[in-house]
Amino acid sequence: MHPSKSIIFFTVMSGTGYGIIICLSFLALIAEINFNYGFKLSLILISFLFITLGLLSSTLHLGHPERAWRSFSQWRSSWLSREGLAAILTYIPLMIFYLLWFLEMDIFKYFLYSASILSVITIYCTGQMYASLKTVPAWHNVYVTPIYLINGLSIGSLSIYCLTRFYESEIQHLYQFTLLSLALCLLLKITYWFHIRTKSTSSINTAIGLGKDNKVSFFEGPHTGKNFLTTEMINKIKKEKANFLRLCFIILSCVLPMYMIVQEATLIIDAFILKLSFFITLVFALIGMLIERYLFFIQAKHVVSLYYGENKV
Amino acid sequence: MTSLPAKQNKKLGLVIDLDICVGCHACAVNCKEWNTSGHSSPLHDIDPYGDDPTGVWFNRIHTFEVESEINGSKTVHFPKSCLHCSDAPCVTVCPTGASYKREEDGIVLVNPETCIGCKLCSWSCPYGAREYDEEAGIMKKCTLCVDKIYNENIPESDRVPACVSTCPAGARSFGDLGDENSNIFKLVEERNGYDLMPEQDCLPTNKYLPPREKNNQFKNDALNSITNDNDFSFDTWKEIIEDASK
Repeated sequence: MHPSKSIIFFTVMSGTGYGIIICLSFLALIAEINFNYGFKLSLILISFLFITLGLLSSTLHLGHPERAWRSFSQWRSSWLSREGLAAILTYIPLMIFYLLWFLEMDIFKYFLYSASILSVITIYCTGQMYASLKTVPAWHNVYVTPIYLINGLSIGSLSIYCLTRFYESEIQHLYQFTLLSLALCLLLKITYWFHIRTKSTSSINTAIGLGKDNKVSFFEGPHTGKNFLTTEMINKIKKEKANFLRLCFIILSCVLPMYMIVQEATLIIDAFILKLSFFITLVFALIGMLIERYLFFIQAKHVVSLYYGENKV
Repeated sequence: MTSLPAKQNKKLGLVIDLDICVGCHACAVNCKEWNTSGHSSPLHDIDPYGDDPTGVWFNRIHTFEVESEINGSKTVHFPKSCLHCSDAPCVTVCPTGASYKREEDGIVLVNPETCIGCKLCSWSCPYGAREYDEEAGIMKKCTLCVDKIYNENIPESDRVPACVSTCPAGARSFGDLGDENSNIFKLVEERNGYDLMPEQDCLPTNKYLPPREKNNQFKNDALNSITNDNDFSFDTWKEIIEDASK
């Protein structure tokens, strides 16, 4: 599938923003989350900007962005419609939470929990939009939606962790929570990569329909040039390059952050270098997530490629 | 709108005979010709006279090689356009309701006024029936020539899709595949018409007829007699031909 820049940016950024909210609600459940104003303001700004910039970027790939509002109407059948609706609904408790949290009013927790539930629903809808597509076997499986959720959560909690380093504060249980979500993120992705090695039941034989007693092979495409289907649905990446990028994701988004968190005490003495290195860690982790999302698209084969020379998908 | 109709009064669709199709691409050309000035007009082309032309086409002809022990090797030309599925995923994934299936005849259409161009319908279609128009910013597709088959300004005999009326070999048939008494339904029964990718569960309306089995008895007999007969001459060959043509 064509790795559209705006969709990759959207899913990673908004996922991270929602992840921050979800992680924050977990922390609020088990500990106090009343930090100093600077820390609060940074968290509010970062989560708001990530979610909003992501959502705005998602409209960039539309042919008619000015009609985007129409997509809220078909929530009965369409995961994309549900995703848009959930994303907008999340803003209501989210904005109230921001305000109440900043004003230090205790009922902020209830709005945080509501925003967190709606964030989970939004990411769930994003995942289901891909997972419901039978035409793309690499997406039509049980791993895709949990991956979207855990990726958002791990990078979201990492963002909060990096901010605590920046403001030299501590949040109870955040250390374990971040490590656990990063480890889960890595484990789930590797399981997914193993899973997508199995081929789907659709093949050139079922696509042409003559494969029962015959050997069917591709002879000639409909034309020598490209068309919408080949540019949108049929994209290839060399195996070596894909493996290299997978390794980049593992190191940048999982191993490096975990190493930094665990080895922090032994690594860094200077306070400024500590802040800087955690900032770099977060940037690297985000780059790793963009790479993971790029692979999610470029390595997913669409069954229409069976009409353009593939024998299996 | 986005949900599929509970029932279909008719199932209008095409039947494509892979035994007859000669791969001349006339159906695809006439499809472009009609539709670039009809319901979906214009079907934009990008860089049409340049090095790397692309454009919107609703119908394309692929070619495959089909080999079997009995029939040997055979070239099969394979035209493919929208199959107007009964369980069309392109309709249900649409976030705006622009993509819809008509209750009266089962034709799947796109409303150009409400399509936002998100391309999700094209992802959900296993057959690659959807065509995004880059210039117009909306999705387009085969309309089964909805502006031709009901058009009272043209003679009744012409009220079939452009691809059907133009096929010089008669490889394409059009009709109501939901009507068990229709000729097209009987044709599918008789020739073991089949669905493409049934495992995708889209229940396509369009059917494909497989190439007929070749009768190779004569060819095999002739070849055997040639290879077994050391005294084979032009006269014996001529006799075989004459026998066969009687």
